[in-house]
Amino acid sequence: MRPRTKPELFPAQCAGIESAEMKKAAISLYVVVTIALMVWGFYQAMYVAPSDAMQGEISRIIYYHVPNASVAFVFFAVNLIGSIGFLAARRNNPDRAQLFDAWALSGAEVGLIFCTVVLTTGPLWGRRAWGIWWTWDPRLTTTLVLWLIYVSYLLLRRFAAGTQMQTLAAVLGIFGALDVPIVYMSNRWWRTQHPAPVFGGAPGSGMAASMLHPFLWNMLAWFCWGVLVLGLRYRVERKHQENAAEEAREALESRA
Amino acid sequence: MDQAAVIDHQYVIAAYTVTWVLQLGYLAWLGFKWRAEKRAAERRTRVAR
Amino acid sequence: MPRALWTHLVKDLRIELRTLDAFVSMLFFSLLVVVLFSIAFDPHGDFSREIAGGVLSVATMFASVSALNQAWSREIRHQVMDAQRMTPAPGAELYLAKVIANFLFVSVVQIILAPLFLIFYNLHIQGQGWLLALVLPLGTWALVANGVFFAALSIRSRNRELLLSLILFPIFIPALLAMVRATTNILTGESDPILWMKLLLGYDIIFTTVSLLLFDVIFHAE
Repeated sequence: MRPRTKPELFPAQCAGIESAEMKKAAISLYVVVTIALMVWGFYQAMYVAPSDAMQGEISRIIYYHVPNASVAFVFFAVNLIGSIGFLAARRNNPDRAQLFDAWALSGAEVGLIFCTVVLTTGPLWGRRAWGIWWTWDPRLTTTLVLWLIYVSYLLLRRFAAGTQMQTLAAVLGIFGALDVPIVYMSNRWWRTQHPAPVFGGAPGSGMAASMLHPFLWNMLAWFCWGVLVLGLRYRVERKHQENAAEEAREALESRA
Repeated sequence: MDQAAVIDHQYVIAAYTVTWVLQLGYLAWLGFKWRAEKRAAERRTRVAR
Repeated sequence: MPRALWTHLVKDLRIELRTLDAFVSMLFFSLLVVVLFSIAFDPHGDFSREIAGGVLSVATMFASVSALNQAWSREIRHQVMDAQRMTPAPGAELYLAKVIANFLFVSVVQIILAPLFLIFYNLHIQGQGWLLALVLPLGTWALVANGVFFAALSIRSRNRELLLSLILFPIFIPALLAMVRATTNILTGESDPILWMKLLLGYDIIFTTVSLLLFDVIFHAE
């Protein structure tokens, strides 16, 4: 007896199996590359990049603090897109709306983790550089506010009842995202204790080449890491949605 | 000056530690969540059979 | 003014004016907060000018929240959401009417409180005092516009009242900051409050617009 899964006999199924395996392989490769990049980035940050003339060792903060901040902002934007997408799709295309909601939640939660890293590593630097753990200047304050907003977003998702929760959360996500431009602009509008923008700021800003390359490597590495974690969170949320939908379906069917 | 550099280095290490505790801690939590969802799915298919 | 908006506004004002329950408790609560802060921070001379802006803003905030927690209670009790769903009038008008009504209540509280404030803190305004008449309403509007919206958002949640504060306060912080800085700058006369006032105005415009656009989405969320 010839095996039933010969490609000529069942091309569609085999293509399905193959593409699933290819997908797994691609993801594994991505994980390996990401980890390699992180290790390379760390090496670049700690051993290749020179110490800053004025700040010394602690200037290496730009290799983890800034990338984490960038990733956090981007992921909060993912939350915004997911929220808007959910609201737009929920009537006509409920399945797609669920996709958007999963992205929205993932963006908020993972973004919050990265934002927490920013808010904890920043003071560690500030204590050493300025002698103070914290100051209520606009940039720090608004980053903290952003953190608070997304915590409240997650709390709403926990406290709100049932099916409307996703709609309410999506609306709150839009409100929260309105704060992001304020954070970005605050560094330019007001005199602040936080270091002035290094890129695109006043003349005299810009980074030395010896620091630029490690910085870029670390930006790449942290973004790859962020996307990996985001993807994982998304996958877990989709599984959760599937389970919830199945349970709801079973509850309805058992009653009928 | 050397003492200052040592303390600077300690701060950098502390910062990286905090960063990775947060990142890996979150991944661990995510792992638990995944396991919980998988178990819920398995329980359902077992019950359905 | 659109008809539904006017109707809702007049209705809310009328109902409130009958008993003045929410208004009186708001007024008393603000007074208590002012007194408590005075005891906690002992204002004198220059120092009182530094903190007066903050105390007034926070007092307004707490007082407003006590009113905002009740903002939709009548609507919940009498199934107004369902009735609203059946009318052709946009929910945004109901929302705006509620915001205006609450804004008027809080503003009246502030007007009553302001002279007391000047007395308790022995304030001699160093800057342009009349600007306060712009700053305070802008700040109050920010608080009430967002507060009414989030109160509607948390109607069907458990921990409804707590959730309102948890959501409102973080989003309100930029406006609080602007209100406090502007007020302090006016009182101390040290720097120009105009930048902060512009921020407050921008904040009001942005968030009121978004609230108007999204109100129906949350009011009728199923």
